[in-house]
Amino acid sequence: MAASSSTGRVLTLCKQFQNVFRISSATNARQRAVSSAKCQTSLLRGTSPIVTPSWSNPISSAGQYRALHTTISRRGLEDFFDSPENWGEANVKSGAPWTAKQLRTKSNEDLHKLWYVLLKEKNMLLTLEQEAKRQRVQMPSPERLRKVERSMIRLETVVKERENALRLLQTGQEKGRPGAWRRNIFGYVYWYRFKEYAIPWYMNRRYKRKRFYTPKFVEPHIRLRIENYLRERARNENLKKRRLAKLQERFPQIKAPAS
Amino acid sequence: CAYLLRYPLYQLGNPQLRIFRPSWFLTLVRPGKEQPQDTVQFRIPMEMTKYDVKNYLEKIYNVPVGVVRTRIQFGSNKKRNHLNQKVKQPDYKVAYVQLALGQTFTFPDIFPEKERAPAEGSMEEMQEKFMEDEKQRQKLDPRRGGVTEWFGL
Repeated sequence: MAASSSTGRVLTLCKQFQNVFRISSATNARQRAVSSAKCQTSLLRGTSPIVTPSWSNPISSAGQYRALHTTISRRGLEDFFDSPENWGEANVKSGAPWTAKQLRTKSNEDLHKLWYVLLKEKNMLLTLEQEAKRQRVQMPSPERLRKVERSMIRLETVVKERENALRLLQTGQEKGRPGAWRRNIFGYVYWYRFKEYAIPWYMNRRYKRKRFYTPKFVEPHIRLRIENYLRERARNENLKKRRLAKLQERFPQIKAPAS
Repeated sequence: CAYLLRYPLYQLGNPQLRIFRPSWFLTLVRPGKEQPQDTVQFRIPMEMTKYDVKNYLEKIYNVPVGVVRTRIQFGSNKKRNHLNQKVKQPDYKVAYVQLALGQTFTFPDIFPEKERAPAEGSMEEMQEKFMEDEKQRQKLDPRRGGVTEWFGL
């Protein structure tokens, strides 16, 4: 169990192995559970996807995959640690992180399950890191943490893209959270994102202190800001022109760069 | 992700808040002080509560949880760097989880001593050989009983 789950973990993380394992012997059954998206979703209809880890699904459908038997990993707190063979090793092999392109090919259920697989892996690596600091020993292969983080970030972006697209199609709303362009006290216009309150804004004292308008006495300061900005911009342009003129003087054969 | 999110405001009668794809990570730590057999010690993000920890462990790890107690550990702000600026160690929340159903947990030894023979023809093997030769050269004359040359003729 420990060996297969460790290899299962390696395979979730290094996806190049997916296609290799598609058709292989039944001993690699549990690892293939990860790669076979079709079979998993068909078996999981009606059960909550949150609890079962991805390598736990028995796959018995026809087609390229042979009949497998897998058990739900009931290891509990042992999931916070690597498989015992890797304890004390200096290096633990791990594959490449998931890329966004690869994640976009996966279904929503698969992504959901992958998130929890990555979450458990990250918890395990964090425990390992802390224990290594405690024992004053080097953590074996710390790059795994970075890989898992990157995979999770990419998963998040893919899910957000899908939610965005769905919202645009169903409601036409571009942004999930409502907002508005507002001017603050200093004269800056910015995108203010709305926050949920239990009372209306005219009864909210702290909100009214924020003042989404520019008072009259701030206008001279804004004018000064604009003047400074224009002055700096003019200065930079003049500098560029002077530099170009000097170069032309020294090297008359130079063509003026198109900028 | 769980952090940076504005959760919907809760008012009486609202449905139970559900979080999909939580971005909270727990770190199992070895207890500094002696803890009872059924207690597991975690470092959890500051935003998590006792109920969050209980649900997290029960749903994701399938661990029967009894009670959870939490405390916030203040990270020291006393040390100073070479510029005499105060350096802050981050604060963290510690959760003491008591397992239900009479289960016990002892923190395992994750870094056991392993006999490692270096691979043939590799850098490690050459380095080890070199170190052994050096040590052999540094050793004093065994015929004189390991005594230095300072004494004697």
